[in-house]
Amino acid sequence: MSKELEKAGLPVALISAMFPVAQQVRANRIVKGVSIPHPCGDPNLSKELDARLRREIIETALKALEADVKEPTVFSPAIASGG
Amino acid sequence: MIKLIHVVNQFFAGLGGEEKAGLPVGVIEGSAGAARGLAQKLGDEAVITSTIYFGDNYFHEHKEEALKKILDAVRAAEPAVLIAGPAFNSGRYGLACVEICQAAANALAIPCLTAMQEENPGVGAYREFVNARAYCLPTTEATTGMNDALTRLAHFALRLARGEDIGAAADEGYFNRGIRRIERTDRTGAQRAVEMLLKKINQEPFETEIPMEVWDDAPPAPPLAELKNRNLAIVTTSGVVPWGNPDKFKTYRNTYWRKYNIAELKELESGKWEAVHGGYNVAYMNQNPHYGVPLDALRALEAEGRIGPGKLYPAYYVIPGNQGSPTVMRRIGQEIAADLKKDNVEGVLFVAT
Repeated sequence: MSKELEKAGLPVALISAMFPVAQQVRANRIVKGVSIPHPCGDPNLSKELDARLRREIIETALKALEADVKEPTVFSPAIASGG
Repeated sequence: MIKLIHVVNQFFAGLGGEEKAGLPVGVIEGSAGAARGLAQKLGDEAVITSTIYFGDNYFHEHKEEALKKILDAVRAAEPAVLIAGPAFNSGRYGLACVEICQAAANALAIPCLTAMQEENPGVGAYREFVNARAYCLPTTEATTGMNDALTRLAHFALRLARGEDIGAAADEGYFNRGIRRIERTDRTGAQRAVEMLLKKINQEPFETEIPMEVWDDAPPAPPLAELKNRNLAIVTTSGVVPWGNPDKFKTYRNTYWRKYNIAELKELESGKWEAVHGGYNVAYMNQNPHYGVPLDALRALEAEGRIGPGKLYPAYYVIPGNQGSPTVMRRIGQEIAADLKKDNVEGVLFVAT
């Protein structure tokens, strides 16, 4: 699905916990999500830290959209998840 | 004597070209047009009792009516096998052949057979239908391959009519449908897996038992300069929808997308949204829908000027991605892309579960 968006000329930041799969299917801008049932955040964190983590993930996604990539590239949010 | 029925478009029925594409469904006793060639290939074992024809445009413009008439005619003829085509590279014809096979295989529980070139959009539809009673054989692009196509159609149709076991697509030469077949073997899964692994390590050729979809490459779209002046949108396969699931998404194999308004919202309030998805535990997403649609973070970044005011698209796009067939998801992607482009969206944040 995301590749059809890219084919139409829209850069896509794909936020997914299954980033190896995203790489395998050759998505171009891949952002590491936390886990499959909660890619954008971590319910094990306090509400505040969870929100901060989500913000970091989205900032990483925005940076991915600004990045000139030539091949599938994984972008990792700077803040690691709780566990 | 085995009874077969042949379904062709107006052109191959010998009734005319594009100017006759509006012809409604009709039935000719015995074989006509291209069906005569097929009848010759069948020899003495089988007979084509009737040839059903339809105009290429008529079929697609009056699909329900056309399929009903065709099914009525097939039902009356009680054939052992339905043969449609060959359609070569003709898109309308190929799609019609596949839809007729699908309808007859389901409604009448008879094996159905068609043939066309691999690039024909009918092949995509055939793979999407995944019908165990429908088979599609490859042909050349142009009708120069007619003789060979009819020979193979006749041979395959006779085997289906006799009730012979049809093996795997790779062995039998029909287009694969993604149906996993159960076969007996005296070696356990572990033994076979280790054998495969050893071959892989030794860089010897090996054959997987579960082939994966081959993905085509999409070159990266150019990056966004001056991001804060760009229109952005959220697309997600998480299945987050308004509480109550107003558009009745299923937890798997969905075939349509929706977009839901977030223009006036600062965040997605817990209890007003739910996740519909059969592929992961939705408890976290139900508790906090931002895990799938991170609106709170986007609004914060908007307030800080990282995203320009009003630059976040006023709705988010969603389909629960669970078990979506690649063909369907490709179409969904194309439809969403067209919708985004129409509204001048320039970049996408895509949350996948």
